[in-house]
Amino acid sequence: MIKTLQKYLLLVIILIAAQLLVFDNIEFSGYINPYVYILFIIILPFEIPKALLLILAFALGLIIDLFLGTPGVHSSATVLMAFARPYILGVFAPRDGYQTGTNPRIAYYGLEWFVKYAATLVIIHHLTLFYLEVLSLDHFFNTFLRILASATFTLLILVLSQFLVFRK
Amino acid sequence: MRKLLRFIIQNHFIILFLLIESFSLFLLFSRNPYQKFTFYRFSHSIINRIASRISNLEDYFSLYHENRALVEENTKLYNQLASSYPGTTSDTIYRLYNGTSGTYLYIPARIINNTVNNQYNYITINKGSRDQIEPDMAVICNNGIVGYTKSVSKNFTVVLPALNLDFIVSGKIKKSGYYGPVSWNGVNANLLTLVDIPHHVTLNQGDTVITSGYGGIFPEGYLIGTIEDFRLKGGNYYEINIKLSSDFRRLDNVQVIRHHAKQELDSLQNLLLND
Repeated sequence: MIKTLQKYLLLVIILIAAQLLVFDNIEFSGYINPYVYILFIIILPFEIPKALLLILAFALGLIIDLFLGTPGVHSSATVLMAFARPYILGVFAPRDGYQTGTNPRIAYYGLEWFVKYAATLVIIHHLTLFYLEVLSLDHFFNTFLRILASATFTLLILVLSQFLVFRK
Repeated sequence: MRKLLRFIIQNHFIILFLLIESFSLFLLFSRNPYQKFTFYRFSHSIINRIASRISNLEDYFSLYHENRALVEENTKLYNQLASSYPGTTSDTIYRLYNGTSGTYLYIPARIINNTVNNQYNYITINKGSRDQIEPDMAVICNNGIVGYTKSVSKNFTVVLPALNLDFIVSGKIKKSGYYGPVSWNGVNANLLTLVDIPHHVTLNQGDTVITSGYGGIFPEGYLIGTIEDFRLKGGNYYEINIKLSSDFRRLDNVQVIRHHAKQELDSLQNLLLND
């Protein structure tokens, strides 16, 4: 239990550091702004209490917000994503449900399942985030393009990280 | 209380989500200058729109009193006009027998009962003999003629409107001056019929038809309507459909026209007839 806690604590620190030090510095014509810190919310265990999920998401989003100087933007998007997570998990549940002792990861449920599940959450998060940032529908398609590009890139990083960093 | 508690526990996920999310959005809109500005601009535009709707609505509530005031004002102006220019129309007889107080007196009234669906429609107004109304006085509204008074009680008057098969008024085509009887055919609540216009008169759709002043009830020059269509009947005379300028379905305020010298005129004309 303590070990699991330590593992997730380490994970969140690494993710925040990676987000702030690496991924926020990608300047690819302004179209690609990946936000990989949400991996933390995505791969939290199935059994986590829903309320805790929301609180963790809010805390995570707020930390990112504080570092980036955009209070509320990331926390709103992350909390909304965390709120959607149980429902998305329900939609993509395997026929015989999720096994106890497993996590929502490629290692347990395969690449296809993970891509579907993570892509939905990433899209929810990025849609909210980008439109809250722009807060107008004036450049709707431009923003939408940015969302698609960034979400694709984020998803790519998330999938790769599953193979490179996280073994079971 | 226990039910409330149970409700909160059952829905704690959604409630917590709403709380946290609204707090995040509060942060978003209060701590970021750009978002704050956009939010205020948006909310102001909405609030302004709502405020203007409310003020429109409030205008409606005062509409009744506004209307009353306008009617009073109209009556005053009519009376001023009538007394400043006694006998503005061509009827010199009236002018001779009329003193300085004006040929016509306009009495404002309000319709309290009105039908348009029958063959013999009647209108009841809220003024009667107490307000100097007598039978056979012209009734007009701001858009044109309405009818004439038929029977009068102390406080009420029954008006025989243009939409009654018994109604007849002498109408004149304003452009050419030809006149003939105008009556209702009982079919369409928007159309009156003008007959006895000779076939050599040029008519156009949309020509104005006004009261001619003959017949003694209606003074000259009040709008009846415009020509809708016309056809020759029997080869010599036109039968003209006139589109009524007054909308009888929406009548509300009317003016009754009292003709000061009418009795005198009538008795004179009857004298000639009886001879």
